Amino acid sequence: MMRLIKSLLLGTVLGLAALPAAAQQDIIWWDFLSGGDGVRMKALIDAFNKEHPDIRIRGTTLEWGVPFYTKVRTASAVGEGPDVMTYHLSRATLGIEEKVLSPITDADLANAGLKKEDFFEAPIKAATQDGKLYAVPFDIHALILYYNADLLKGSPYIDASGKLTGIKTLEDFNKALVWLKDKGVPTPLTYQSGGDGGVWRVFYTLLTQQGGEFVTNGKVLDGDNAVKAAKAIDTMSAWREKGLSPEQAEYEASVALFSAGKSAFQLNGVWEVPTFKDLEKSGKLGFKWGAVEVPPFMGKRSTWADSHAFAIPNEGDKTVSGEKRAAVMKAIGWMEKHAIGWADAGHIPAYKAVTEGADYKAMQPNATYATLAEAAAFDPQTRITGVASPAYDAALNVIAPAIQGYMNGKDAVEQIKLELQDKLK
Amino acid sequence: MAMIENRRKKSLVALAMVTPFIVTFTIFFLYPMLKMIQLSFTDAPLIGSGQWIGFDNYTKLLSDRLFTISLKNNAYFVALTVIPTTAIALLIALGISRLSGARQTLVMALFFMPYVLPVSVVTEIWAWMLDLQFGILQPLIALISGKPVAVFKNPYWVMPSVAVVTIWWTNGFNVLLFLAGLRNVPAELYEAASLDGATTWQKFSRITWPLLWPVTALVLTLQLILQLKIFDQIYLLSGGGPFNSSYVLLLKVYREAFQSNNGGYASAVATVVFLLIVIISVLQFQLLRIRRNR
Repeated sequence: MMRLIKSLLLGTVLGLAALPAAAQQDIIWWDFLSGGDGVRMKALIDAFNKEHPDIRIRGTTLEWGVPFYTKVRTASAVGEGPDVMTYHLSRATLGIEEKVLSPITDADLANAGLKKEDFFEAPIKAATQDGKLYAVPFDIHALILYYNADLLKGSPYIDASGKLTGIKTLEDFNKALVWLKDKGVPTPLTYQSGGDGGVWRVFYTLLTQQGGEFVTNGKVLDGDNAVKAAKAIDTMSAWREKGLSPEQAEYEASVALFSAGKSAFQLNGVWEVPTFKDLEKSGKLGFKWGAVEVPPFMGKRSTWADSHAFAIPNEGDKTVSGEKRAAVMKAIGWMEKHAIGWADAGHIPAYKAVTEGADYKAMQPNATYATLAEAAAFDPQTRITGVASPAYDAALNVIAPAIQGYMNGKDAVEQIKLELQDKLK
Repeated sequence: MAMIENRRKKSLVALAMVTPFIVTFTIFFLYPMLKMIQLSFTDAPLIGSGQWIGFDNYTKLLSDRLFTISLKNNAYFVALTVIPTTAIALLIALGISRLSGARQTLVMALFFMPYVLPVSVVTEIWAWMLDLQFGILQPLIALISGKPVAVFKNPYWVMPSVAVVTIWWTNGFNVLLFLAGLRNVPAELYEAASLDGATTWQKFSRITWPLLWPVTALVLTLQLILQLKIFDQIYLLSGGGPFNSSYVLLLKVYREAFQSNNGGYASAVATVVFLLIVIISVLQFQLLRIRRNR
């Protein structure tokens, strides 16, 4: 028995000693991508691993939103975080304040074969604070308007080739919704009306389309912005009241309404594009669809946007360094250059060479809504905004029930200010 | 001499038996608690230490609107759960004690089953049963209120609904305590009462109720402590909304610590919750004892 234990021990020691000789860099990777885009990301990781025998990415997918960011921050504080992770740039300010993000130096970028100029300006700006870059942008993703061309057939809002047409103002859009309702479409417009993300994105789009800003000079919805925010909420309430949008729809239900043909329009992020593409390919969708940049309902071209980025977390007082860091940067560089696989997930690659390439220009409906890159409205860079932030809580706690008719837009705005102003130190 | 030695031996054995508990208690409860109280006087972030700021966190609490709201909501939740769950458990226990044999075991197991489930499963079950579009309980709600209600997103329904879920989930344990209490009531008392011609109500109010009182007091106190600590169900079902109508103290602790990075302030709230529970439960237990001694 003793001998057996001894030989086992010896074997383990030898095994451990032999490991570095193999010299394979293991990269621990965390992301929050579980939908159609998660499948694409896994394919990218597999392809990378196949091409690089010396580096192996070990991916773990965690739950999007609060669970992900809580885990990242506690894990990184005690030095148990991943080597690289996906991060929303809307949260960059919070991440920097929490000391979670390790600055990406020019040397790091060189290791990845990248330059800041290779990217669209907006996401680079969102990832930069005090001249330091804290994450490498991977995409721009935004709210878009999906439409069911078959349900709209016979209306003046669809042309002969099945393209959406003639919807330029809120009035046009409401007319189209009423036309659909009269035709018997149960819920003409769907969006996640019962959850934080969906409500915030639509609200923020309608606010910024009026030229409104959420935070100005350290004040939440100050002055004129309050009126614009109230108008945005009242617009959403009116859709619900007239039965044009769903009551308290959870995310999955809101998507299902569209894919089941019970809604002709959907306001949702670009990340659902692969879902409908896949359904269409397998012949399960049963209708023709398209997606466009959200029309300027409130006057100005603008649409909520955010960026997925790659970030390296701090590990307690230290951070990922040396050869491991170089390997991480190499992986990030490879991902950027192969971002066409990510564009397939609906997102607009932040790496310009990919977005301007012929492959991307041939992608539909991606190339159609790519125009929104010019009208992208990122969340303000504050500690109360961004994914899993107090602003998202307020969307669920105040805006969602207000849309349900429990409060008018003006009172809801007062409540939002009450909730958030103190947190904006 | 022999006796003294014996006593010393005895206390050594006792010490040996108590030590594991004292060690675990000190490491996992006493130390963190003292640390929490110390943190509550600093401006520490979630992780790491901060500057000593005296009672600033506590004075800030007094003017914190959300703190007042969550205090009220906690009180409301306690009112919705503690006495109802005790009463329901007593009724169920009285019913079960009338059964016998395998049937009693089966019914007892049925009532105890929810208690075995983890909170995430419980909330998922109820979220589905009460789902606005597909929930099987919605027709019932429509019968009462005229139309389906998204109960966890309605400012008036949310707390009562969470209370119902909580009672359903935790009631089995109380039933068990009451059953044990009922079994301790000597059968001769009932026989004697029957011989004297006592009615069922008289038997309950003169024999069962007084003899069961220690158990009732225990259940009430345990429930009070448990319900003051409400967090999981709220976090999973309503997230504190709508309009903060289900915002409770521990949710405040969680948000301050893990979302807003205010470790010190969160500790202050936690300390207040701790003191609140200690004071209220000691008070309540004393009050119930007075009743019993009367």
